[in-house]
Amino acid sequence: MPERVNQNRESVVKNEREQIGRGSDVQAAALPRIGVFLFEGSAPSPSLDYASVAEYAAHLPDVIAVRTVAASSAITPEVLAVEIRKAKLNTIVLAADHPGFHKPAFSRALTLAGRDGSQVRLASFGERGDGASTKRAKVLITCAVQNVPVKPSPKHDVTEFNTATLVIGGGIAGIQAALEIAASNHKVYLVERTGTIGGRMAMFDKTFPTLDCAACILTPKMVAVGQNPNIELLVLSEVQEVSGSFGQFNVKVLKHATRVDSSACVACGDCARYCPVTASSEFDMGIATRKGIFIPFPQAVPNTYMIDPTYCTWVLSDGKKCGACAKKCSKGAVHLDAKDELVDLEVGNIIVATGYDTPDAHRVERYGYGTYPNVLTSLEFERLTNASGPTGGKIVMKTKKVNKKTKTEEWVFEPDGPKPKAVAIVHCVGSRDQNYNPYCSRVCCMYSLKFAHLVREKLPEAKCYEYYIDMRAFGKGYEEFHERIREEGVLLVRGRSASVAERDGQLYIHGENTLDEHLITLPVDMVLLSVGLQPSHGSAELAEKLCIPRDGDGWFRELDYNSEPNGTPREGIYVAGVCQGPKDIPDTVAQASAAAAHALRSIVSSEAGKKVAQPLTENAGSPARA
Amino acid sequence: MAVRTNPELIDQLQQFGAKDAIKCYQCGNCSAACAHSEDPYVFPRKSMRFLQMGLEKPLRSSLDPWLCYYCGKCSEQCPRGAEPGETMMGVRRWLTSEYDFTGISRLLYRSWSSELAAVIVVALLTGAGFFGFGLFGGGGNLSVYDGPGAFLPPHAIHVFDWTMGIILASLLSINCIRMWHFTMHGEHAVPVPLSLYVSYLLLLPVHFFTQKRFRHCENKTPWTNHLILMLSYLTMLTLIMVFLKQMQAGPQVNWYAHTFGYLSAIGLVGTSIFAIRGRIKKDAAYHRHSHESDWMFLGLLLYVSVTGILQHVLHRAGFPMAANITYIVHLMGVVPMLALEVPFSKWSHLAYRPLAIYFAQLQQAAQAEGATPLGRPARPQPVAQEQGD
Repeated sequence: MPERVNQNRESVVKNEREQIGRGSDVQAAALPRIGVFLFEGSAPSPSLDYASVAEYAAHLPDVIAVRTVAASSAITPEVLAVEIRKAKLNTIVLAADHPGFHKPAFSRALTLAGRDGSQVRLASFGERGDGASTKRAKVLITCAVQNVPVKPSPKHDVTEFNTATLVIGGGIAGIQAALEIAASNHKVYLVERTGTIGGRMAMFDKTFPTLDCAACILTPKMVAVGQNPNIELLVLSEVQEVSGSFGQFNVKVLKHATRVDSSACVACGDCARYCPVTASSEFDMGIATRKGIFIPFPQAVPNTYMIDPTYCTWVLSDGKKCGACAKKCSKGAVHLDAKDELVDLEVGNIIVATGYDTPDAHRVERYGYGTYPNVLTSLEFERLTNASGPTGGKIVMKTKKVNKKTKTEEWVFEPDGPKPKAVAIVHCVGSRDQNYNPYCSRVCCMYSLKFAHLVREKLPEAKCYEYYIDMRAFGKGYEEFHERIREEGVLLVRGRSASVAERDGQLYIHGENTLDEHLITLPVDMVLLSVGLQPSHGSAELAEKLCIPRDGDGWFRELDYNSEPNGTPREGIYVAGVCQGPKDIPDTVAQASAAAAHALRSIVSSEAGKKVAQPLTENAGSPARA
Repeated sequence: MAVRTNPELIDQLQQFGAKDAIKCYQCGNCSAACAHSEDPYVFPRKSMRFLQMGLEKPLRSSLDPWLCYYCGKCSEQCPRGAEPGETMMGVRRWLTSEYDFTGISRLLYRSWSSELAAVIVVALLTGAGFFGFGLFGGGGNLSVYDGPGAFLPPHAIHVFDWTMGIILASLLSINCIRMWHFTMHGEHAVPVPLSLYVSYLLLLPVHFFTQKRFRHCENKTPWTNHLILMLSYLTMLTLIMVFLKQMQAGPQVNWYAHTFGYLSAIGLVGTSIFAIRGRIKKDAAYHRHSHESDWMFLGLLLYVSVTGILQHVLHRAGFPMAANITYIVHLMGVVPMLALEVPFSKWSHLAYRPLAIYFAQLQQAAQAEGATPLGRPARPQPVAQEQGD
């Protein structure tokens, strides 16, 4: 039987050859006749001039034809075969950022045209992430045309393996990965965009399904990061540029000035007391205020104050006004004129753990977020119910207050505000919806149940309704948690609410209970929108800097969904936590540890093989902190 | 009780334009967003469910699709792109074909080529018939348009149009009786006493002439457009069925009749162009999808309006022969439009919609009086009320 199949296949190939034309007129010829296909990148590259590369390639020996292919054009082997036969080509050079992608189509085209299908050579600009430049492209194409192997990484010898690791993002994933690597006595640079590590988890009150105190789990880890001599923490810092390759990445990090000396500051708070400007607190999701000089939250690591230059009177007036904080600081820790600095880091591995943002709830207009004061997003409610939040963890409604400075009325949370008598929680806001994010954000069902529990626990008199589509209790203990919340007297409505409206000062939530086919309108005092997760802002730019791909929803794409959920197509760069796709805290922590294991594997094997653990260069990193 | 399902129902409905119902994940957003959806007539999600489950009988006995006016709000908010609005439209087409006892409706809706062929055949027969009649039974002289000896004399046209009207009304009435049977004797229907039928009878003309439920939709443009179209059409129909003699007489303009004629002509042309433009631009959810029958209906409407105006203009401008020919060309559009659309296709909704509102009211009134479906307990009270205490 197999023989017959083979015969059939041969005859098919033969037929196709006959259709396309007489095949082997050129194949016998000893000289290579090369066609160069130059694929343009999807975005125009400033450093790569495709026209001049094409011009250069056309003058190389044995090159018969050069064609520039637009990124969007379709590759059809049958059409190519005709072209190959017309130009009498027998070898193809594919020049692109990632030419391997097109290789199968061209192999097939060569076979169809009656040539040797293996004669496809690749000139890969994007390999090893060195970035495409005109000069490099010319060299790579020349090598491919001459059939000279290219040294994989021309800049560095693999023996110079740098054992330091860069972790981008200081949430629970970044903290976990940094601690794992640091625990094995290797250097870690932890770069965090905000003023403190801790990320989203630091905002939470409780974790599901165990209802543990989130801070009790997280803050010891945060402190451990701050105290570990192997971890160098760079807050208010962003990755600017990444070059080099696995084992020898050169990373430029822009470190914004905190304008407060972290070694001198004792976080007494005198400066903030005298600071005249007020801004809404990012850490409290805007439901509370902070000063122009502030600490994100009392347990922040590093535990120092910092100045927000977008609000600071001294900065905005170029040093002509104010400066109260510097005058009042008894330790002399405030240096208002401190400048941002560019830090060069040399690392062998990079772990990306940039986490998530929540989608803008204003976009789903029908729930009235932004219009009705007591319609809150999930993270706002996390801060409201958190003991370190603006009301000390009391669940209250907003009250109207006159702002003394601006003389305008605004809705604010006061610890002694009125208690809601009924709270509705709406699942899937902006998730599983093709008008917003089509994917399931995975954690919302469980955190919504957690909210229901918190409402029932703190306000036993209050009614609590959940509008859900499907209850996704996917993890260990989650179904049991769901059952428990049901038994606690939370009313579950199977149906997505369509709207929230206000009549005579009373909020009403309207939806269909699809289980009994009735429409229900319920009077409620507070509506919580369970908004999903989306990649944190700046992910696209970071992906470009790191040369790693993202998937259709914007999450960083793992190397293999099942077998390499940590790796990326670029060696030495790993992903951990929600930045790879929505996941809960246990999964995030597990993935972070796995990413650390990936990095440690390369570090350990480089040490075992070569014993060339590089001492850290002098210029690497900012001055060490205590 | 065993429930009979038809697993192919959702595939069959695809031919009627309900293409995306399979995507629905039953979140109920559409039902809650709809201005017309009210207990116990909660839709469109329920109809989508019937489709997905293949519950042919409950779908056939459902009044819900006729209570929807397709403002498109449900489709705009649908998280799955399941197009609940268009699904309801597709179900209405399917229901029309289910009510129709001849099977012509099913053929016309499911096969674009049959519909086109039917229109062409009827048009050609009409053209040949009127031309033959004009030559041998009517005035006999193609260059005489009005007065004694007119090629197509008004009294003869009246005989024809009244005959056609009675035939079409009879066909539609039979379909309406079938609709009554399906919906008022369906699974959840309660028996309605005759007295209620009488006391609510006024609902029929009110909803027929005003379509006031349509006004409840958030977007008022479709209602305005629909009302103008319907009133223009009714005015024109009355003029033709009753005042054809005054309309045709010339060459002076009889302003008593013609004022109405001109207004309704403007209404017909304006609204049909508005609808065609909307469907081409796909600028609103209710215009995004167009079934072949929608294009046929709008095309015929515009054709009939334009040729009608043209024959009038040609007559007044002193080209009786051209006017006569255009008149026949005009009739070649009118007859297929009415003969095919009224009992078998889109225009049947002129009867089904007011009837559905009437039946729905009757059901609710009968339930309020305590009637229950045979062999079934009364419906449970809404959750909201249970939880309200």
